Amino acid sequence: MPPETVLTARGLVKRFAAPAGAPIEVLAGVDLVVRRGELVVIEGPSGSGKSTLLNVLGLLEDADAGEVCFADRPVSTLGRGAKSRERGRWLGFVFQSFLLLPALTALENVLLGARYTTGVDAERRRRAMALLERFGVGERRDHHPAQLSGGEQQRVAFCRAVLNDPPLLLADEPTGNLDDANGEVILESLRARAREGGAVIVVSHRPDAAHGAHAVYTLAGGRLRPH
Amino acid sequence: MRRASLINALRRVLRGYLFTIAGIAIGVAGIVALGAMAERIVRFIEGGDRFVLGQISVAGRGMGMGAGFTAGGLLPAAAVEAIRKVDGVAVVQPQVMLPLNPSTSQFMTLTQELVLGMDLSVPSPNRHYRTLPVQEGRFLREGDRRKAVIGASFAASRRLAVGSRLELEGQPYEVVGVLERMLTAPDRFVIVSIEDARDQWVSKDRLLRTVLASGGVALRAQDLNTGAAVGWREGEDPDVVARRIRDRVAGVNVQLPSELSSLLRQSTAFFSALLVGLGLLAFVIGGLSERVRDFGVKRALGATDWQLGGEILAEALAVTISGGAVGIVLALALGHGIDGWARRSGQQLFLFSPRLLGGTLVFSMLLGAAAAAYAALRIVRLSPAEAIRRGSAA
Repeated sequence: MPPETVLTARGLVKRFAAPAGAPIEVLAGVDLVVRRGELVVIEGPSGSGKSTLLNVLGLLEDADAGEVCFADRPVSTLGRGAKSRERGRWLGFVFQSFLLLPALTALENVLLGARYTTGVDAERRRRAMALLERFGVGERRDHHPAQLSGGEQQRVAFCRAVLNDPPLLLADEPTGNLDDANGEVILESLRARAREGGAVIVVSHRPDAAHGAHAVYTLAGGRLRPH
Repeated sequence: MRRASLINALRRVLRGYLFTIAGIAIGVAGIVALGAMAERIVRFIEGGDRFVLGQISVAGRGMGMGAGFTAGGLLPAAAVEAIRKVDGVAVVQPQVMLPLNPSTSQFMTLTQELVLGMDLSVPSPNRHYRTLPVQEGRFLREGDRRKAVIGASFAASRRLAVGSRLELEGQPYEVVGVLERMLTAPDRFVIVSIEDARDQWVSKDRLLRTVLASGGVALRAQDLNTGAAVGWREGEDPDVVARRIRDRVAGVNVQLPSELSSLLRQSTAFFSALLVGLGLLAFVIGGLSERVRDFGVKRALGATDWQLGGEILAEALAVTISGGAVGIVLALALGHGIDGWARRSGQQLFLFSPRLLGGTLVFSMLLGAAAAAYAALRIVRLSPAEAIRRGSAA
């Protein structure tokens, strides 16, 4: 029995208006399938459209053409509200610049997604605390992002991404602002996530990101090419 | 548990918006202070309105009433008699109005210190002020000479009370009454009998003394009036009566009661509201725009437009109410401080009415809601990725 398909992308096209001349086609027909337990790494030079692809796959941005399905269900054509609900149900995000909310504590940041999806109950709180402990930032739960190091912020962001146990984790240059040691902690966490049965797509230019990946692609000329 | 989480949420909002709240507070404080000054002006106008609308004011034609009631020409007894005979006129009270100190600028209180001489043999023709409200002592009676009733501001600035002595044009006067603070012209009046006012006029005006001494003009004491307050008969339209006086009596300026324009009042209120509106909108929208990235992140995490809209509305209301309340407290402290200092010279610059304070708070809330709706629409139109990009670039 083949592994369960989590994400399917077919023929994704995305163009951006250029200051002059024809629009720039950043994605020129991208196809991708990701299954449970898979870690997929996407590499490519700066400006090749890696983040745009991740945004389109994560329903953060609409494609000009093509389709995104979660578990074979088309989601890219849904309305804004439905897309938000699908994101809350299916996805976890880890961003390069962490994107923690500065006014919230570490614990509140971890619980942020739950606030809009499952609601924050005692069980969610316990789980959030357990995640912070597991990633070595339990004692920093009441600190605000400005009081945390970059590595600590990214670990908090990782806890936020996995709190609702989403089937698919999207990580955009998750080690881009971290030193090697902290970067390795995050990469290992992503690998572990895949080992535990989650699907993970990582965009990274770091060579060791591909270590342990089930598939590695390079995005060039708007298309994904397998290694 | 729910209450604790609400308190935490409120704390979080207030913490995140500290600078916005401070900005709104300062803005609202300024607006409330301006509003309080406007209220003070409006009260002055309303008081004047009420006074003017209660009578028809007639002055002798001279430099005209536009230069002040005191700058009109003589209104001789013959003119007073002619006015009395006009259809619809019930009563005419001759008056003398003199500037107490013509060199003093009283712009901030919108009035001068004036001596008002009233013919006490005639009942007050003013429908709204049959008697002026006396706080202490009594009002003047027919036959009173060298006695004065003074306005509240005048009393405060000169530290005068009932029984005090007051010197006017070299003559001693006994203060027999102090008026209630009316926040309008009479606050700075010294009211005496018309006979005493005429004496002061002659004593003050060298030209008049020369004319009287020359015997070239047949002037009697009764001719020395600067104006008259005219009352109309029951059922008469005061504007019609005023026009009749203007048409039938030569050499007079007549103030139609309805001519008192409400333009200043309306423009003051409008100007204040405009300032409040622009200030608050800028602060709330600015505060929300700074957090575009945060809203993008929330949408990425699953927040729907409705959830964000509700959150933005609640935050905007919390911020505007907090900022508004702090601003009102600041303005009250500032206004009372300044008024405490100004009161020593008998002035009052601010009037913090419940209407102003309540209105400012309600207005803040409405604007907060409007700003939130506007900001929410702008934010949800962006894709989450675009919101994150814009917020990160800012």
